[in-house]
Amino acid sequence: MNFEGHSGIHKLTEEGLRLVIEAAPSGMIMVDQRGKIALVNSLVEQLFGYTRKELVGQSIDILVPNSVRPKHAEHRAEFFKNPNTRAMGSGRDLYGQRKDGTKLPVEIGLNPLETGGERFVLASIVDISERRLAEALLQEKLLELQRSNDDLQQFAYVCSHDLQEPLRVISNYTQLLAKRYSGKVLDETADEFLEFTVDASKRMQGLINDLLTYSRVQTKGQELTEIDCKSVVEDALANLKVAIDECGAKIDLGTLPRVKGDNPQLIQVFQNLISNAIKFKSDQSPVVSIDCKEEGNYWLFEVRDNGIGFDLKYAERVFVIFQRLHSREVFPGSGIGLAVCKKIIERHGGRIWVETAPGKGAAFYFTMPKLRSYGGES
Amino acid sequence: MNRKLQMLLVEDSEADARLILEVMKDQNVAVDISVVRDGEEAMSYLYKQNGYEKVSRPDLIVLDLNMPKKDGREVLAELKANLDLRSIPVLILTTSNSDEDIVKSYKLQASCYVTKPMDLDKFSDIVKSMDQFWFANVRFPHRR
Repeated sequence: MNFEGHSGIHKLTEEGLRLVIEAAPSGMIMVDQRGKIALVNSLVEQLFGYTRKELVGQSIDILVPNSVRPKHAEHRAEFFKNPNTRAMGSGRDLYGQRKDGTKLPVEIGLNPLETGGERFVLASIVDISERRLAEALLQEKLLELQRSNDDLQQFAYVCSHDLQEPLRVISNYTQLLAKRYSGKVLDETADEFLEFTVDASKRMQGLINDLLTYSRVQTKGQELTEIDCKSVVEDALANLKVAIDECGAKIDLGTLPRVKGDNPQLIQVFQNLISNAIKFKSDQSPVVSIDCKEEGNYWLFEVRDNGIGFDLKYAERVFVIFQRLHSREVFPGSGIGLAVCKKIIERHGGRIWVETAPGKGAAFYFTMPKLRSYGGES
Repeated sequence: MNRKLQMLLVEDSEADARLILEVMKDQNVAVDISVVRDGEEAMSYLYKQNGYEKVSRPDLIVLDLNMPKKDGREVLAELKANLDLRSIPVLILTTSNSDEDIVKSYKLQASCYVTKPMDLDKFSDIVKSMDQFWFANVRFPHRR
């Protein structure tokens, strides 16, 4: 075979060309400047349902869908004015038309070539119907997932919102009942029953509020903007000032970067982690260190305490909504804090985990993508 | 003139309306309260139409937001657009916690916005402060 480069156009012998085209793993069509088909390989016959005889000498237009035929001649003329190797119709969905009139999704590469003193374009055609089908299926699954996710969010929100109404009535009236009649009309047992009811409805109110908070991470989240994590942590510490002062906790704050985030939500994350660090304190007075370091394209944040820690086998469970490791009597709370943290961090494109052991304190880690425009600098 | 203050309570929930009355009773709040159950009825009351021809003009309106037919937001907008009625102070008492509702209510000239509490003690506190502020100290137009 004889390849000779000349102003971007390849020259080779006709026989060599025929062999190359026939052996190619995709459909190959050689077309002259007037748009007449000069050569096809057997894959083209299979793809379009024509025999070689039916194609050679015909206009290439018979393989082009009717709707794009008028434009096709223009494109061809332009190609011959400036012949270079390129993909056809980049960014557009391309179709060929089979003999039976059906459309075939294709990808087409164009190569200019010269043989026997004449210029041609050699089009290499790949049938992408299976890829298209897979893409369409994937898209459909994605939409389905998005829909079911949205439905769930909406469901949680509506549930928690609308459940509050009747619960408020139950709660208020049992309290009114207790206030007016306990110790008077009711005996001790009845008073106890009432107390259980009042407690349970207050607890349910707490759970509903938490569920609402949890679902609001998605439904009421703000747009992510560039924020300084230092001021985020300072706000969280200000909100926790009373608790921090009460237990005499020492807070060590390292250098923190700027990230793209939802300010109130990130304050919430630090607030939950720091308040947990204080709440689950050991006999020593609490020391909480907050730090951050680079890790590839992410910032790795650490909130470490010297508290009671816990068995690492619960490391996953602590991030699940309403899961608690201690009884409500020992440590109050509904088990929402870390679940909210996880949801917020995941909304920001990061992940959160814990390293801990009983009596050894706990270190909560989470990642946040670096700011691209800042080249990852703080 | 020493007549009692007239308060119009616009509340669709019978349980909530009753609770307010009960808590007021517990606290011996000396106010005449009329209750209507939706926004349309509230407007009839204020315009003295459809059976409300003989009622007296309320000194104060306590208004729920989420109600059937005409809701509290519409009632508030309509009465604040009415030259004769706009001077009546309106207290919003609702379950809604949404910032939108809070902002919108004040823009529509609500005098204050209170969220219905879960806890009876807090409810009592609200009624108590209403009593001490609105019913004991505040002066209203159209009262001599």
